[in-house]
Amino acid sequence: MLEFDLFELTKATVTLLVGLTAVLASLGVILCSSPIYCALYLIGHMICLALLFLLYNAEFIAAVQIIVYAGAVMILFLFIIALLGGKKEVQEPSLERSLAVLFVATMLGELFLSATVGSTKPIEGGFDVETVAEVGGSAKAIGLELFSRHLVSFELASVLLLVAAIGIICLSKFSYIPVRRRMK
Amino acid sequence: MLDDVIDFLEPYTYLIIGSVKALIIAGALLGIVPALVWLERRLMGRFQVRLGPNRVGPFGLGQPISDSIKLLFKESIIQSSADKFLFHLAPAIVVFTAIVAFAVIPFGEPITVFGQEIGLWAANVDIGLLFVFAISGMGVYGMVLAGISSNNKYSLMGGLRSSAQMISYELTLGLAALSIIVLTGSLNLIDMVNSQNSYPNILIQPLAFLLFFIAGVAETNRAPFDLPEAEQELVAGFHTEYTGMKFAMFFMGEYINMVTMSALVTLLFLGGWNAYGIPVWPIIAFSGKVFFLLFVFIWLRSTFPRIRYDRLMTFGWKVLVPLSLLNLLITSVFVVL
Repeated sequence: MLEFDLFELTKATVTLLVGLTAVLASLGVILCSSPIYCALYLIGHMICLALLFLLYNAEFIAAVQIIVYAGAVMILFLFIIALLGGKKEVQEPSLERSLAVLFVATMLGELFLSATVGSTKPIEGGFDVETVAEVGGSAKAIGLELFSRHLVSFELASVLLLVAAIGIICLSKFSYIPVRRRMK
Repeated sequence: MLDDVIDFLEPYTYLIIGSVKALIIAGALLGIVPALVWLERRLMGRFQVRLGPNRVGPFGLGQPISDSIKLLFKESIIQSSADKFLFHLAPAIVVFTAIVAFAVIPFGEPITVFGQEIGLWAANVDIGLLFVFAISGMGVYGMVLAGISSNNKYSLMGGLRSSAQMISYELTLGLAALSIIVLTGSLNLIDMVNSQNSYPNILIQPLAFLLFFIAGVAETNRAPFDLPEAEQELVAGFHTEYTGMKFAMFFMGEYINMVTMSALVTLLFLGGWNAYGIPVWPIIAFSGKVFFLLFVFIWLRSTFPRIRYDRLMTFGWKVLVPLSLLNLLITSVFVVL
């Protein structure tokens, strides 16, 4: 009889593959020259992130990730690219490009350093698989946490978003000067 | 030898059952499309006082088969200015998301076969409703990509319209569903059906039902909200350049989405497979309700003219969204009190 646990093995393989795809997709976002394909790579990356959330039993976050980012935000990106007519950008070496490469290299170096110096620790919190199941699903657990311990910050964030939305409407809808002229 | 195989497979029974269920559901969904096309053409004929297809086979039942064969053998034309990869990808996305979204739809109580309890659903996930919204929301990409990759201004307009329309009406759809979620206290579709054992939700949430159904018609791009493919203005919208089977795949997606939307309305508002005293099998009750809603979809198409695009947007944002917010507010107040 075979000895290994097929379920765990499959899960580990799938996690690895999805993570690898996520990394490749994010590379595609910055390396691809056609804006439409960049946006598509970003969508692929977000779907991979949602799959990773799913593999770690965070169903609610996975669904929200897809609905908000892949479903709504990226559609607007594609919308704008389609309206502006995505042209392929010409690759030519310049000072800015070499600066950008230097910057990215520094960031990657920092990431590497921090990964080697201190090993990653699991986030300590009140929730693991058992407690989440006890509360009744990940959606409920997140709701309870969000609306009890983090209520003030949650409401502040929502007010911030509301202010931003009203600001956008004001900026795009009314120009300030014609309104004053009319008042004279 | 056979015993060894059975011993080896024993712990993975749930995997085998799951795969068989997935195959059956995907096959049935694909098979339902020609039937729906036939139904739509026959019913439209009746509504418009003409005959409809009646030459191929009894009642024209052979028509969908001959149509499918014709579409399969047609030459596939791709204009040279199109983006080949995206052009092929777009119809695949439409059909894929349509079938996957159906995966969490339950259509009956669990049945027992050979001592195994089998639920009549492909997957029973905790976040059922959100899953449907997430996956069907991804279906927009098929239309947008078809519009962009065709390199044609009519297709582009169709793609843009469809994305704007679907984003706008998704809001109403979600808010109307949210009032049912507030009532039930769960995102699980089976829990929702079980909470309607005594009476269906439509009796206490008629406004939410109306909003959900209108938004559902808009989400599936059906008339009177079929702006993305308005023939008189946009040739055929985002699928202008498509031929043969790829053209048919967009229609497969649309019809499967119609079935999914009808099933969702049934589960959320009409009590799912609860028959309320009428002695029929749960699955028959469920399919009856879904069939009736599909009939209404076709009825709407042959009754209402297409509405203008700016009116569509105004209607969505200034009428449906405030109404659904108000409905949600009132429902929440009643639930809390």
